[in-house]
Amino acid sequence: MTDMNADTALLPGQTWAQLLARRSFIELNALGRATALLDPGSLRVLAGPFDRLESPWLAPQGITPQADDGTVIARGTVDGRPVVIASIEQGFQGGGTGEVSGAKISQALLLAAADSRAGTPTAGVILFETGGVRLQEANLGLNAVAEICSAILDLRPLAPVIGIVAGTVGSFGGMSIAAGLCTRLIVTPQARIGLNGPAVIEQEGGIDEFDSHDHALIWAVDGGEQRYATGLADDLVPDDADLLRGALVEAINGGVTEPGRHRSERLDVLASRLATLDPAANPVDPRELRTLWGRSYEPVATTFAVGTTPTGQDADPPVTRGRTWLLALTGAAPQPIIPSVASVTTDSARYLAIVPDPDNRFYRARKGEVGVTEALALAQAVRDVIEADGDVEQKRAIVAVVDLPSQAYGRYEEIAGLHQAMAAATDAYHAARMAGHPIVAVVVGTALSGGFLTHGLQANQILALDDPGVEIHAMHEEAAARITLRTVDELDELAKTIVPMSYDVEDWAKLGYCDGLLEVQDADAPTPRDVATVAAAISDAIDRARRGPIDLSTRLDSEAAVATRQASRAVRDLLAQQWNPES
Amino acid sequence: MQTLNYQFPAHEVADHAIHVGVVASGDLEILLQPPATGEPSDTVVVRVRTSVNGFDTVWHDVLERFFLRTPLAGRWELNDFGATPGVVNVRLRQAAEAAKGPNS
Repeated sequence: MTDMNADTALLPGQTWAQLLARRSFIELNALGRATALLDPGSLRVLAGPFDRLESPWLAPQGITPQADDGTVIARGTVDGRPVVIASIEQGFQGGGTGEVSGAKISQALLLAAADSRAGTPTAGVILFETGGVRLQEANLGLNAVAEICSAILDLRPLAPVIGIVAGTVGSFGGMSIAAGLCTRLIVTPQARIGLNGPAVIEQEGGIDEFDSHDHALIWAVDGGEQRYATGLADDLVPDDADLLRGALVEAINGGVTEPGRHRSERLDVLASRLATLDPAANPVDPRELRTLWGRSYEPVATTFAVGTTPTGQDADPPVTRGRTWLLALTGAAPQPIIPSVASVTTDSARYLAIVPDPDNRFYRARKGEVGVTEALALAQAVRDVIEADGDVEQKRAIVAVVDLPSQAYGRYEEIAGLHQAMAAATDAYHAARMAGHPIVAVVVGTALSGGFLTHGLQANQILALDDPGVEIHAMHEEAAARITLRTVDELDELAKTIVPMSYDVEDWAKLGYCDGLLEVQDADAPTPRDVATVAAAISDAIDRARRGPIDLSTRLDSEAAVATRQASRAVRDLLAQQWNPES
Repeated sequence: MQTLNYQFPAHEVADHAIHVGVVASGDLEILLQPPATGEPSDTVVVRVRTSVNGFDTVWHDVLERFFLRTPLAGRWELNDFGATPGVVNVRLRQAAEAAKGPNS
């Protein structure tokens, strides 16, 4: 029965009879999915459509908002255990994370963490169906993803956070970093998980890099079966509501994972896996990874030596703002963690910057992008500081000097699971913040998209130079124009009134998570006075971080947030108010 | 995006609030709330927000015909993302049936 075998690839564990009798999960809307997973009769929707917490940013752009901003928050029980589900509606704006929908997810997880701390462990369940940050709310969406990542990491030690990617949109963009942080990740064969979607890679890297019309390639790289077969997802379940609920019951009953054992903490595994890849010299077929890496997330044998030859060390390294400011602020020559991650360690702080490595074996990360090896090196550098300061009362600061064009858009990055590598760096920064290390990000150049999520957006304090060369955004303007079917001129026009879409750093500073906009004379070749200004600002930021909260709540409580993030603050208030049923 | 407001006569009242649909391509969501205390119980109040401009007459005709047959008073909010009149009718009927049915 060869036909049968071919078909069972799409229906793992299901016979035709079961297939015909099944209740499809994928065909359900966001509310239907949450209902299907919860114990019957236990569902209670929070901040629902009649609360009308819709996006304040869409209607002014001529886009019809949805009354619940496309994300259902539902409380209830699974097998008798309290859970909160965040179910993303894939039909609305492609499941894109906006200010409101993002705040709903992060605040729900934070409330679950508070209950868990108070003695009622409340699991988080996130149904990822998203293309990533909603570009119409760009910088607020990007920050929302950072807050979701932080909230997952806050809850994860107290109660399990289970991610489900069922399809058909799948999980892309920054939300896949969040997926990579989950206690367990459940996927269907129809799921896809990736950092950069195929169309974006094709657009940034050309059709040779990724042909977005090659469906076989897309599924071979991002597909649920591939992610499961290579240990980047934990359960592969057919599209069947009852079977998915069964997997969720099992996952929640499994409880929390022992500290250090989460996938995003296993730097040993990530390092050994990446050491088997050399895309520049020896491109790998995604299918080979199933044998090379296998399904269990444990260290693998290195098949050939890579990274042993010092590359780019003989020549003068390219001059970039990241390298320049690293040197200027510390007065010391930056040392490579790897050629593309430079570091200076002083008595009081560790400074880190991503820098170009023209010889990077991951050839799509040669211009200072955050790729898989950069994310790993950042994670290692941050974890080293946490470990070294283990018994020290006054933890050293970590200063992320941010000047990066973006994350790396490449086929081999996706094959290798860029989202999971970025999750490792995000996790490390969060862990350092929780351990009491003041984390200060100082944006001296461009800080775009997933790159900034990985290196900067988990900081207690974020500073930026007030300079035209400083650009903070969810996507560079030409690409954002193409994705949202607008012209660059139209985007510029919109950005004048839609603050989170602006490419101007002074507008970014109004969004509530800027802790200092620093005037300098020359951002490319800082004067002694420029250096003194920025150094003093970093020092002040470190002091504020030591005194302030170790969570990200300042991003909602700052003066600017009170003015600009009213919608996020309304979400926080309403969810808190509705969290427990009215008695 | 265009915002359109209409009123139609009614002589029935929805039992409870209902939400159906999604603001997805070719679809719409409907929020229906029975008249609050003090609001007229003989009027359908409709607000349409649609991503497609210039179809005022079509909206008016579709809604008028529907509320002639289903004169259900209350506040109807339609958030539309390019639904065809057929889809609009299906969603309207779905909302009306659910609003008169058991509260789920």
